[in-house]
Amino acid sequence: MRALGIDPVHETRETFRALLDAMSRPGTVESVPEPADYAVVATLVDHEVTVATDDETLREALSSQGRLDAAPPEVADIVHARESHAFDVRECTRGTLVEPSGGATVVYEAECASGRSEDLTPVTLFGPGVDGTATLSVGVPPSELDALATAQSEYPRGVDAVFAAGDRVAAIPRSVTLTVSDETTADETAAEEVA
Amino acid sequence: MTDERTADDPVASTDGGTTVPTDSVDAVLDSLDGDGLSGYNYAYLDEHTKREVRRATLKAVAVPGHQVPYASRPMPLARGWGTGGIQASLSLLGPDETFKVVDQGADESVNAANIRRLAENTADVETTTDTTEAGVVQTRHRIPEEVLTDEQILVLQVPITDPLRKVDSSDAANRRRHAHKNYGKMWVHLYENVVEWGEINIASRYPTMVAERYLMDPSPIPRWDVPKLDDAENLYVFAAGREARIYAVPPHTDVEPLAFEDREFTVERFPDAACHACGSTDTYLVEVSEESESPQTTREEGGGEAADSSFETRYACNDSSFCEKRREDSDIPKDHHLDREGVDWGPGTPDNEEASSGGAGE
Repeated sequence: MRALGIDPVHETRETFRALLDAMSRPGTVESVPEPADYAVVATLVDHEVTVATDDETLREALSSQGRLDAAPPEVADIVHARESHAFDVRECTRGTLVEPSGGATVVYEAECASGRSEDLTPVTLFGPGVDGTATLSVGVPPSELDALATAQSEYPRGVDAVFAAGDRVAAIPRSVTLTVSDETTADETAAEEVA
Repeated sequence: MTDERTADDPVASTDGGTTVPTDSVDAVLDSLDGDGLSGYNYAYLDEHTKREVRRATLKAVAVPGHQVPYASRPMPLARGWGTGGIQASLSLLGPDETFKVVDQGADESVNAANIRRLAENTADVETTTDTTEAGVVQTRHRIPEEVLTDEQILVLQVPITDPLRKVDSSDAANRRRHAHKNYGKMWVHLYENVVEWGEINIASRYPTMVAERYLMDPSPIPRWDVPKLDDAENLYVFAAGREARIYAVPPHTDVEPLAFEDREFTVERFPDAACHACGSTDTYLVEVSEESESPQTTREEGGGEAADSSFETRYACNDSSFCEKRREDSDIPKDHHLDREGVDWGPGTPDNEEASSGGAGE
């Protein structure tokens, strides 16, 4: 993925380790090579899986290596969601009860920060990987997170979300329960301390 | 003899029985000078394989305890010798990593040494036998005695991925059971075990519930190690090469061994035993048969029985690297490298001392 300015061996390995940390400890933010969403896609996508993206640079880079098997967001294994994306995450594939790992990985091109952050939407997480509860702030509107919560509500079927922008990445796997926190309340402050 | 080897001779290649000239074999051997590793990708696996393993590992973390299928590749050793673990480890390792390989608690077995050397040669990693120094630990049949931290990943080699295999040999039927969280057949198996033995008498591969959803085979670790999976600081990755499945237990995940209210899960008991080398009583011990020093060891004429009588049984720590530390400092706790108090790590950790000796009176 040199076309994207990402070293195909070492930077994809670093990205994988960051993703694995982010996925196994939801609420934590890890650093990856820039741009983060390209790094994540370059780490995960090849012709063995289908991908949905409307980013021309990404399509070209994947296609030039024979790694692009494009599909609509509703059926793709890996969905690259730019800020302007038009699909509904609730329509993405969630896998089957027998093989839930067929559920999509949705890579949002969105900022993320642990704890609360200005201009970002805070979510409270609990479940596997989280010690108590954790607060994560992501750069997507609350309505998108509500839709994501619905897309993850049929555990073990569901989608796994990755938030990647700049040099940072965070994840909300389907195993955790997410609650969009509206205004700061007393117990959220407690949650932040745990995080 | 394959077509490839005779490809430079088009006539010979059509005839499977043609012998390769000896000098060409010599030429092949000559070309193996050095490590024979030039031309291999970083960390041995090609990037296509790594992507496959990495995707499966991430999905395994997202659905804790679920066995995620992946395309397991041929490795430079036979399946069943840790090929799943190697693929998972090599997909994780980077040049700044320190790698440890444990085989049944020992760093020095041939299998462990070879896996360590493969990683050292191809991935340019540091290797260590000290659990506390390793970033990635690949292990067969044990979880180290020393507490693992949130900086570490434990990769377990798995021979049989499905805990339900012992109650039904049909993989298709078992996958349907997992889909519907239908574990009735395993409960019946445990009940029959209690009827026969008075307790649940499963030595290893103890059926374990992960995050209240999936029944998981924790690989052939002894019962002793099973409680370490619960609410751990570190990530566990279980990888099977032969069965081509990867599953995982993330940190801070509920992991509960199946048991009944009146027949609780118990770990192995070693009443009145201590490691003969370091004196530990709070570690997992194994029996070692050693020849006694009496001079009557005449193997040839005595046959089996005479030889047996000259052997004595002693106990030894199974985790050899921690045993070595204990030999230097017999008081060193299993969480000596952590500054936190209240670390709970399997039976017999400093805060749970009673668990290791509790069974002695039974």
